[in-house]
Amino acid sequence: MPSVTRWFIKSGMVCLLAALVGLVAMPAREFLPFPAVVAVLWPTLLHLLVVGWLTQLIFGVAHWLFPRRTREAPRGDERLMWLAWVALNAGLVLRLVGEPLALMGQGAGGILVASGVLQWVAAVAFIVNLWPRVKAR
Amino acid sequence: MTRLSSWAIRLALVHLGVAFTAGAWLLAARGFPTLAPPSWLRPAHLELALLGWTLQLAMGVAYYILPRHATGAARGSVRIAVVAITLFNLGVLTVVAGAAADQSAALLAGRLAEAGGVALFASNAWPRIKAFGT
Repeated sequence: MPSVTRWFIKSGMVCLLAALVGLVAMPAREFLPFPAVVAVLWPTLLHLLVVGWLTQLIFGVAHWLFPRRTREAPRGDERLMWLAWVALNAGLVLRLVGEPLALMGQGAGGILVASGVLQWVAAVAFIVNLWPRVKAR
Repeated sequence: MTRLSSWAIRLALVHLGVAFTAGAWLLAARGFPTLAPPSWLRPAHLELALLGWTLQLAMGVAYYILPRHATGAARGSVRIAVVAITLFNLGVLTVVAGAAADQSAALLAGRLAEAGGVALFASNAWPRIKAFGT
C-alpha cells in the first residue's frame, strides 16, 4: 500500500471517530454541561463523515488500486496526491474551526473561504492524477 | 477496466469536481453572506456529491470487479448496464435542473430516473454476487 494511501485511510479513520464523538455529544448536551457550540455542529459533523471519512477513504484506495498509468509512473504523480491529502485535511480542520464560529455569529469568513478553496484544490488534484488511470483496456 | 466502468468513473469524477466547486461556494457564503449562492445550489451540491459522485463511483467499480459469469456475457448484459448508467446520470441532472427551476415535476422525474437506473444496475449485478466457484 503506498504511503499516501496509508495517510488518507488513517486520517479518514480519525475523521470518522471525531464525527462519531460529535454525534454522541450533540444529544448528550441535554444531560451534560457541554459548551453551546456543540448545538451547531451538525453540518460540520456531516462533512467530517462524508468528506473526511468517505471521500478520503475513496481517494486513498483509488490511488492504491486503480489500473496503473505507465510502467515508469504507475500511480501518476504522487506529489498531486500529497497535495490532495494536505489540502483536504487542512481544509477540514479550518472548517471544523470556522463553521461553528460562523454559525454562532462570530465571523470567521476568511477561514471558511480558505477551507472551501483548500478542499476544492484537493478534489482537483485527485481528479487530475486519477483521470488518466481511468481507462478501458 | 471495462469501457462502461471507465465512463461511469469519469462521470463520477466530473460530479466530484462540480460538487466540490459548489461546496466551496456554499462554505464561503456561510462566512460572507454577500456571496450567497442561489438557494438551489445546496440541494444540487448534495445530489452531485452523494449520488453523482459516491454512488456512481461504487456502481462503476462494482461493474468492473464483481465476480464474472463463467459462461455467457462475463458481466451480464452490457446493454442493461449502459441504460442503467445513462438513466442514472439523466436522473441526477434532471433533479439538479428541477431544483434550479423549482419544478416538482422535474424533481419527481429525476428521482424516478435515478431509481430506475439503480434498479436496472442492481438487477444486472445481482447474479454476480456469489461465492467463489459457484
